[in-house]
Amino acid sequence: MSAKGIHIEFVASEVLDKQGENKTDYILENVKADTILVLEEPLTPEEEKELIKETMKLVDPKFPGIEVSTLSSEAEGLRSALIRILGGKPRGLTVIGPSKLIRQIKKNPNSIDLFTKTR
Amino acid sequence: MPFRKFLSWLQHFFNGHKAVSLGFYGSPNAGKTTIANRLSIDWMGEPVGIVSEIPHETRVVQKKERVQMKVNGKTLTMNLLDMPGIATKVDYREFLPYGLSTKEAQKRAKEATRGIIEAIKWLENVDAALVVMDATEDPYTQVNITILGNLEAKKIPVILIANKIDLPNAKPERIREAFPQYSLVEVSALKGTNVEKLYTEITKRLT
Repeated sequence: MSAKGIHIEFVASEVLDKQGENKTDYILENVKADTILVLEEPLTPEEEKELIKETMKLVDPKFPGIEVSTLSSEAEGLRSALIRILGGKPRGLTVIGPSKLIRQIKKNPNSIDLFTKTR
Repeated sequence: MPFRKFLSWLQHFFNGHKAVSLGFYGSPNAGKTTIANRLSIDWMGEPVGIVSEIPHETRVVQKKERVQMKVNGKTLTMNLLDMPGIATKVDYREFLPYGLSTKEAQKRAKEATRGIIEAIKWLENVDAALVVMDATEDPYTQVNITILGNLEAKKIPVILIANKIDLPNAKPERIREAFPQYSLVEVSALKGTNVEKLYTEITKRLT
């Protein structure tokens, strides 16, 4: 959190698509720079797994890790896989931010509450 | 008896009791090691690992091989894999209130991050998983959802465990409501409550 406040960036799915296999790197580069990202396209469980794994490689006393939450209208099943194969984008979003700025992300089936830390 | 030993050897030789690798997954302090110990002591007489109130006590995958469980005439041979708790953050400052020095806490945090990476790598390699949740906590966390989503994607059989039901604020029904598609066993690994139900469910699903 800077003196100016909290930086929240809404990322269009086209921006992430351009990153290709570097999607995780792009996310972590921004989150490490104290940005909270809201991704237009939700991460898949596999992508979240990779994100956690890569985050752990970066953890140090100044960067304890991330908070992440995904809201997805479809369970990751056949329907969702079919949508991706046909070039469509499953509805939903993912919120990711540095844990040093986020006190808690509380997830409900249909909403995400994000509580930031105060000075 | 030598003849019985020879028969047992023959069975193993011909893969009569192929060991199922059973991973214990969940967040830190959900009670994975307590359950793994209970299971291992009941069927093998030895614990798997050390239990502690300090988060991330299990920082490497702990194994107990060829644990044989016999329930209702069914026999299951398992390799138990007690995984480090998966988390999205590891802050060394959270260990300081437990009396660790800053240096010890930072070392523990570093080891915990390596353990999480190891646990994640194992996600694709277990034959079945027990996903352990603390019944006193909100189960609808991204870590739980990510673990279950990845196991489901690989079609790995899952049994959910609502642990710590002996505590007054336990609400196992929240886990059932959050993940209705999975079979759930409510236990207190510490007190041994319902562990027989868990053993029945494991042998029913995995034999």
